[in-house]
Amino acid sequence: MPDWKQIVHKHLRVLGACSPEFTEELAAHLEDSHEALLREGLPAELAFQQTIGQIEGRYRVWLVVRFLLEELMTGFIRKVAVPGLLTSAAVGFFYCALALDHIPRRVIWLAGGQLPLSWWCLLPICGALGALLSQRKGGSRPQRIAASLLPSAILGIFVVLIFAVGFTMSRSVNHYWWGSALLESLGIVPPAFVLMPAAFSLLGAGIAELAPRNPIA
Amino acid sequence: MASVNAQIKRGSAELAVLTLLAEHPLHGYEIAKQIEAQTGGVLCFDMASLYPMLHRLERKSWVKAEWQALPNGRRRRCYRLTASGRKQIAPLRAQWRAFFQALQRVTGFQNA
Repeated sequence: MPDWKQIVHKHLRVLGACSPEFTEELAAHLEDSHEALLREGLPAELAFQQTIGQIEGRYRVWLVVRFLLEELMTGFIRKVAVPGLLTSAAVGFFYCALALDHIPRRVIWLAGGQLPLSWWCLLPICGALGALLSQRKGGSRPQRIAASLLPSAILGIFVVLIFAVGFTMSRSVNHYWWGSALLESLGIVPPAFVLMPAAFSLLGAGIAELAPRNPIA
Repeated sequence: MASVNAQIKRGSAELAVLTLLAEHPLHGYEIAKQIEAQTGGVLCFDMASLYPMLHRLERKSWVKAEWQALPNGRRRRCYRLTASGRKQIAPLRAQWRAFFQALQRVTGFQNA
């Protein structure tokens, strides 16, 4: 008999990391399903293919998406939005504090743009803060990660809006400099203010996962 | 048999599961199979729709799940209807009855 726990764990690593109990439940379902097909007289290979088909392809994607959505949306305000917004406030505070002239700011240069390295280095603290605040409210692992990443998501929305407005305006402002500056910024701003912050915040959330956890009723 | 619109399926799924669990506790696979059998295959649950829904019902405290050891040494997560879940059945049935009666008035179809 196939080891369905192992198979589910292999196919649905994300779910396994989030909820081992859920993957065990799915494995039990597949085990029953496989045995029922064998009882119906299907050849072993066909029964296996039909059973594993339930967690492959679009079913696999749906399973992960539905699970994560359910996880995220349960107590979303308390477990994701509030911790995430507090984290965003901390991210904003650090950025403003570093932007003040009397605080030395280390920067690196990339493709002609100024990237706030010091700010990035502080973001793991913010990421950990978001995860820990969510944890205090009983947030699950996907919710803790979402709370850590909320500032990057907010920045991402701002960046998309700014570029959308910028490109719309560049049609009316008929100057080559405007368009080229926007295109140049496109290579700098999203990585500097969305992708790298997300990566550093995720690092912080990962560190927070190592922290001892109080059992939550 | 004509396929049923996905949204109607989603809406009816909770009532179907709660009604089934009102009779006796079942685990996920049994729930899916019994609903499929009792509806002649019109309501079919894949894992992606069944388990997130069961967990949602559990979070609403309408059902309670607990692991049970089977005689063959395996474990199954059995869902049992709670008192709160039992209270939901009558309002849900009333909503669906009202929906079908409204539909009947418009389309003229008769319940079997």
